[in-house]
Amino acid sequence: MIGLEHFTILAALLFCIGLVGVLTRRNAIIVLIGIEIMLNAANLNFIAFWRYGENTEALSGPLFALFAIAVAAAEVAVGLALVIAVYRHYRSVDVDKLKSLKG
Amino acid sequence: MTIAFYVFASVALLGAILAVQVTNLVRAVFGLLLFFGALAGLFLLLMAEFLAAVQILVYVGAVGILMLFAIMLTQRVTGDDRRGGGSRGGFWGFLLAIATFCFVLLPVLRDAHLHEQSATGASLTTKLLGERLMDPYALTLEVTALLLTAALLGAIVVAKGTSEDGEGEENE
Repeated sequence: MIGLEHFTILAALLFCIGLVGVLTRRNAIIVLIGIEIMLNAANLNFIAFWRYGENTEALSGPLFALFAIAVAAAEVAVGLALVIAVYRHYRSVDVDKLKSLKG
Repeated sequence: MTIAFYVFASVALLGAILAVQVTNLVRAVFGLLLFFGALAGLFLLLMAEFLAAVQILVYVGAVGILMLFAIMLTQRVTGDDRRGGGSRGGFWGFLLAIATFCFVLLPVLRDAHLHEQSATGASLTTKLLGERLMDPYALTLEVTALLLTAALLGAIVVAKGTSEDGEGEENE
Protein backbone atom coordinates (compact mmCIF):
# COMPACT_ATOMS: atom_id res chain seq x y z
CA MET A 1 0.00 0.00 0.00
CA ILE A 2 1.26 3.42 -0.90
CA GLY A 3 1.40 5.70 2.09
CA LEU A 4 1.71 9.42 2.50
CA GLU A 5 5.48 9.12 2.98
CA HIS A 6 5.94 7.88 -0.56
CA PHE A 7 4.32 11.00 -1.95
CA THR A 8 6.19 13.38 0.34
CA ILE A 9 9.55 11.80 -0.44
CA LEU A 10 8.79 11.91 -4.16
CA ALA A 11 7.82 15.56 -3.84
CA ALA A 12 11.03 16.32 -1.92
CA LEU A 13 13.10 14.61 -4.63
CA LEU A 14 11.32 16.54 -7.38
CA PHE A 15 11.79 19.80 -5.47
CA CYS A 16 15.53 19.16 -5.22
CA ILE A 17 15.76 18.32 -8.92
CA GLY A 18 14.07 21.65 -9.65
CA LEU A 19 16.49 23.36 -7.27
CA VAL A 20 19.42 21.83 -9.16
CA GLY A 21 17.98 23.25 -12.37
CA VAL A 22 17.60 26.71 -10.87
CA LEU A 23 21.03 26.80 -9.26
CA THR A 24 23.26 25.12 -11.83
CA ARG A 25 22.02 26.12 -15.27
CA ARG A 26 22.85 29.32 -17.09
CA ASN A 27 19.93 29.47 -19.48
CA ALA A 28 17.06 31.58 -18.12
CA ILE A 29 14.46 29.30 -19.69
CA ILE A 30 15.89 26.27 -17.86
CA VAL A 31 15.78 28.30 -14.65
CA LEU A 32 12.06 28.89 -15.26
CA ILE A 33 11.60 25.17 -15.94
CA GLY A 34 13.24 24.41 -12.59
CA ILE A 35 10.86 26.81 -10.83
CA GLU A 36 7.91 25.08 -12.49
CA ILE A 37 9.15 21.69 -11.28
CA MET A 38 9.45 23.02 -7.72
CA LEU A 39 5.93 24.48 -7.81
CA ASN A 40 4.52 21.21 -9.10
CA ALA A 41 6.26 19.25 -6.34
CA ALA A 42 4.53 21.53 -3.82
CA ASN A 43 1.20 20.91 -5.57
CA LEU A 44 1.73 17.17 -5.27
CA ASN A 45 2.20 17.62 -1.53
CA PHE A 46 -1.03 19.62 -1.25
CA ILE A 47 -3.03 16.92 -3.01
CA ALA A 48 -1.39 14.06 -1.09
CA PHE A 49 -1.98 15.69 2.31
CA TRP A 50 -5.59 16.37 1.34
CA ARG A 51 -6.11 12.78 0.28
CA TYR A 52 -4.57 11.25 3.39
CA GLY A 53 -5.90 13.86 5.77
CA GLU A 54 -9.01 13.84 7.86
CA ASN A 55 -11.35 16.49 6.54
CA THR A 56 -11.56 15.67 2.84
CA GLU A 57 -14.90 17.49 2.45
CA ALA A 58 -13.29 20.87 3.02
CA LEU A 59 -11.18 20.46 -0.17
CA SER A 60 -8.43 22.76 1.12
CA GLY A 61 -5.67 20.83 -0.68
CA PRO A 62 -7.16 20.83 -4.18
CA LEU A 63 -8.21 24.46 -3.85
CA PHE A 64 -4.72 25.49 -2.79
CA ALA A 65 -3.31 23.50 -5.69
CA LEU A 66 -5.77 25.12 -8.07
CA PHE A 67 -4.79 28.63 -6.96
CA ALA A 68 -1.12 27.66 -7.11
CA ILE A 69 -1.60 26.50 -10.70
CA ALA A 70 -3.22 29.84 -11.59
CA VAL A 71 -0.41 31.82 -9.96
CA ALA A 72 2.21 29.61 -11.64
CA ALA A 73 0.60 30.18 -15.03
CA ALA A 74 0.75 33.95 -14.47
CA GLU A 75 4.34 33.63 -13.28
CA VAL A 76 5.47 31.66 -16.30
CA ALA A 77 3.79 34.11 -18.70
CA VAL A 78 5.49 37.12 -17.13
CA GLY A 79 8.78 35.22 -16.77
CA LEU A 80 8.91 34.25 -20.42
CA ALA A 81 8.00 37.81 -21.44
CA LEU A 82 10.93 39.00 -19.32
CA VAL A 83 13.20 36.41 -20.96
CA ILE A 84 12.19 37.70 -24.40
CA ALA A 85 12.75 41.31 -23.32
CA VAL A 86 16.18 40.41 -21.90
CA TYR A 87 17.05 38.56 -25.10
CA ARG A 88 16.07 41.57 -27.18
CA HIS A 89 18.36 43.76 -25.13
CA TYR A 90 21.38 41.50 -24.54
CA ARG A 91 21.03 39.07 -27.49
CA SER A 92 21.41 36.26 -24.95
CA VAL A 93 19.41 34.54 -22.22
CA ASP A 94 22.50 33.59 -20.24
CA VAL A 95 21.85 34.55 -16.63
CA ASP A 96 25.59 34.81 -15.94
CA LYS A 97 25.83 37.68 -18.42
CA LEU A 98 23.13 39.77 -16.80
CA LYS A 99 25.26 41.80 -14.45
CA SER A 100 24.49 45.42 -15.20
CA LEU A 101 23.45 45.91 -11.59
CA LYS A 102 26.73 44.48 -10.28
CA GLY A 103 28.69 47.14 -8.47
CA MET B 1 -2.12 1.31 -7.09
CA THR B 2 1.40 0.39 -5.96
CA ILE B 3 2.71 -0.45 -9.43
CA ALA B 4 1.00 2.60 -10.94
CA PHE B 5 2.54 4.83 -8.27
CA TYR B 6 6.05 3.56 -8.94
CA VAL B 7 5.62 3.83 -12.71
CA PHE B 8 4.33 7.40 -12.51
CA ALA B 9 6.92 8.37 -9.90
CA SER B 10 9.84 7.06 -11.98
CA VAL B 11 8.49 8.73 -15.13
CA ALA B 12 8.12 12.00 -13.22
CA LEU B 13 11.66 11.78 -11.84
CA LEU B 14 13.03 10.89 -15.28
CA GLY B 15 11.20 13.78 -16.92
CA ALA B 16 12.36 16.24 -14.27
CA ILE B 17 15.98 15.11 -14.55
CA LEU B 18 15.81 15.34 -18.35
CA ALA B 19 14.28 18.81 -18.10
CA VAL B 20 17.09 20.23 -16.00
CA GLN B 21 20.09 18.32 -17.38
CA VAL B 22 19.67 18.08 -21.17
CA THR B 23 21.56 20.76 -23.07
CA ASN B 24 19.14 20.92 -25.99
CA LEU B 25 16.39 23.24 -24.81
CA VAL B 26 13.63 21.74 -26.94
CA ARG B 27 14.37 18.31 -25.51
CA ALA B 28 14.39 19.82 -22.04
CA VAL B 29 10.89 21.17 -22.61
CA PHE B 30 9.73 17.75 -23.80
CA GLY B 31 11.17 16.25 -20.61
CA LEU B 32 9.17 18.86 -18.70
CA LEU B 33 6.01 17.80 -20.58
CA LEU B 34 6.71 14.19 -19.60
CA PHE B 35 7.03 15.32 -15.98
CA PHE B 36 3.73 17.22 -16.13
CA GLY B 37 1.96 14.22 -17.66
CA ALA B 38 3.27 11.85 -14.99
CA LEU B 39 2.19 14.30 -12.31
CA ALA B 40 -1.31 14.35 -13.79
CA GLY B 41 -1.26 10.54 -13.49
CA LEU B 42 -0.28 10.86 -9.82
CA PHE B 43 -3.19 13.26 -9.27
CA LEU B 44 -5.48 10.63 -10.81
CA LEU B 45 -4.10 8.07 -8.35
CA LEU B 46 -4.95 10.49 -5.54
CA MET B 47 -8.53 10.67 -6.86
CA ALA B 48 -8.32 14.32 -7.91
CA GLU B 49 -9.54 13.90 -11.49
CA PHE B 50 -10.40 17.55 -11.99
CA LEU B 51 -6.90 18.62 -11.01
CA ALA B 52 -5.40 16.03 -13.35
CA ALA B 53 -7.43 17.54 -16.18
CA VAL B 54 -6.39 21.05 -15.15
CA GLN B 55 -2.77 19.92 -14.98
CA ILE B 56 -2.90 18.60 -18.53
CA LEU B 57 -4.81 21.60 -19.88
CA VAL B 58 -2.75 24.31 -18.19
CA TYR B 59 0.72 22.76 -18.04
CA VAL B 60 1.01 20.33 -20.93
CA GLY B 61 -1.24 22.45 -23.12
CA ALA B 62 -0.36 26.04 -22.33
CA VAL B 63 2.89 26.30 -20.37
CA GLY B 64 4.77 23.80 -22.54
CA ILE B 65 3.73 25.51 -25.75
CA LEU B 66 4.59 28.90 -24.26
CA MET B 67 8.08 27.61 -23.35
CA LEU B 68 8.57 26.23 -26.86
CA PHE B 69 7.56 29.61 -28.30
CA ALA B 70 10.00 31.40 -26.01
CA ILE B 71 12.81 29.05 -27.07
CA MET B 72 12.05 29.53 -30.73
CA LEU B 73 11.94 33.30 -30.27
CA THR B 74 15.26 33.42 -28.44
CA GLN B 75 17.45 30.54 -29.57
CA ARG B 76 16.83 30.47 -33.32
CA VAL B 77 14.59 27.38 -33.40
CA THR B 78 17.05 24.58 -32.64
CA GLY B 79 17.68 25.67 -29.08
CA ASP B 80 21.09 24.10 -28.86
CA ASP B 81 22.93 25.37 -25.84
CA ARG B 82 26.33 24.26 -26.96
CA ARG B 83 28.53 25.73 -24.27
CA GLY B 84 27.37 23.03 -21.91
CA GLY B 85 24.91 25.26 -20.14
CA GLY B 86 26.42 24.89 -16.68
CA SER B 87 26.59 28.03 -14.63
CA ARG B 88 29.72 29.37 -13.00
CA GLY B 89 29.72 27.91 -9.53
CA GLY B 90 27.27 25.29 -10.69
CA PHE B 91 29.04 22.70 -8.57
CA TRP B 92 28.14 24.63 -5.42
CA GLY B 93 24.55 24.88 -6.55
CA PHE B 94 24.43 21.13 -7.05
CA LEU B 95 25.95 20.58 -3.63
CA LEU B 96 23.46 23.00 -2.05
CA ALA B 97 20.52 21.16 -3.61
CA ILE B 98 21.79 17.78 -2.39
CA ALA B 99 22.39 19.25 1.07
CA THR B 100 18.87 20.72 1.11
CA PHE B 101 17.48 17.27 0.45
CA CYS B 102 19.67 15.41 2.93
CA PHE B 103 19.78 17.87 5.80
CA VAL B 104 16.51 19.81 5.54
CA LEU B 105 13.77 17.86 3.77
CA LEU B 106 14.62 14.30 4.78
CA PRO B 107 14.96 14.96 8.55
CA VAL B 108 11.67 16.89 8.48
CA LEU B 109 9.97 13.96 6.78
CA ARG B 110 11.53 11.54 9.27
CA ASP B 111 10.30 13.48 12.25
CA ALA B 112 6.86 14.23 10.88
CA HIS B 113 5.26 10.93 12.00
CA LEU B 114 3.01 10.71 8.98
CA HIS B 115 0.72 8.05 10.33
CA GLU B 116 0.00 5.22 7.99
CA GLN B 117 -3.66 5.88 7.33
CA SER B 118 -5.30 4.94 4.11
CA ALA B 119 -6.99 7.40 1.84
CA THR B 120 -10.49 8.26 2.93
CA GLY B 121 -13.61 9.77 1.49
CA ALA B 122 -15.06 9.92 -1.94
CA SER B 123 -13.18 11.34 -4.88
CA LEU B 124 -13.07 15.03 -5.62
CA THR B 125 -16.24 16.00 -7.42
CA THR B 126 -16.25 19.06 -9.60
CA LYS B 127 -19.62 20.14 -8.18
CA LEU B 128 -18.25 20.27 -4.63
CA LEU B 129 -15.14 22.08 -5.86
CA GLY B 130 -17.28 24.74 -7.54
CA GLU B 131 -19.38 25.20 -4.41
CA ARG B 132 -16.27 25.62 -2.28
CA LEU B 133 -14.89 28.14 -4.74
CA MET B 134 -18.08 30.15 -4.42
CA ASP B 135 -18.62 29.91 -0.68
CA PRO B 136 -15.46 30.45 1.38
CA TYR B 137 -13.01 31.27 -1.41
CA ALA B 138 -14.95 33.75 -3.55
CA LEU B 139 -12.65 36.66 -2.70
CA THR B 140 -9.57 34.54 -3.50
CA LEU B 141 -11.12 33.64 -6.83
CA GLU B 142 -11.65 37.31 -7.65
CA VAL B 143 -8.10 38.19 -6.64
CA THR B 144 -6.82 35.34 -8.83
CA ALA B 145 -8.81 36.68 -11.77
CA LEU B 146 -7.33 40.13 -11.17
CA LEU B 147 -3.83 38.63 -10.94
CA LEU B 148 -4.28 36.78 -14.23
CA THR B 149 -5.48 39.93 -15.97
CA ALA B 150 -2.56 41.93 -14.59
CA ALA B 151 -0.12 39.19 -15.63
CA LEU B 152 -1.59 39.10 -19.13
CA LEU B 153 -1.28 42.86 -19.55
CA GLY B 154 2.18 42.88 -17.97
CA ALA B 155 3.42 40.09 -20.21
CA ILE B 156 2.20 41.93 -23.30
CA VAL B 157 3.77 45.21 -22.21
CA VAL B 158 7.10 43.62 -21.27
CA ALA B 159 7.38 41.40 -24.33
CA LYS B 160 6.33 44.11 -26.76
CA GLY B 161 9.31 46.27 -25.96
CA THR B 162 9.49 50.02 -26.23
CA SER B 163 10.71 51.59 -29.43
CA GLU B 164 13.63 49.46 -30.58
CA ASP B 165 11.67 47.56 -33.19
CA GLY B 166 9.77 50.56 -34.49
CA GLU B 167 6.69 48.39 -34.82
CA GLY B 168 3.83 48.71 -32.42
CA GLU B 169 4.39 52.37 -31.72
CA GLU B 170 1.47 53.50 -33.81
CA ASN B 171 -0.81 51.06 -32.08
CA GLU B 172 -0.62 52.87 -28.80
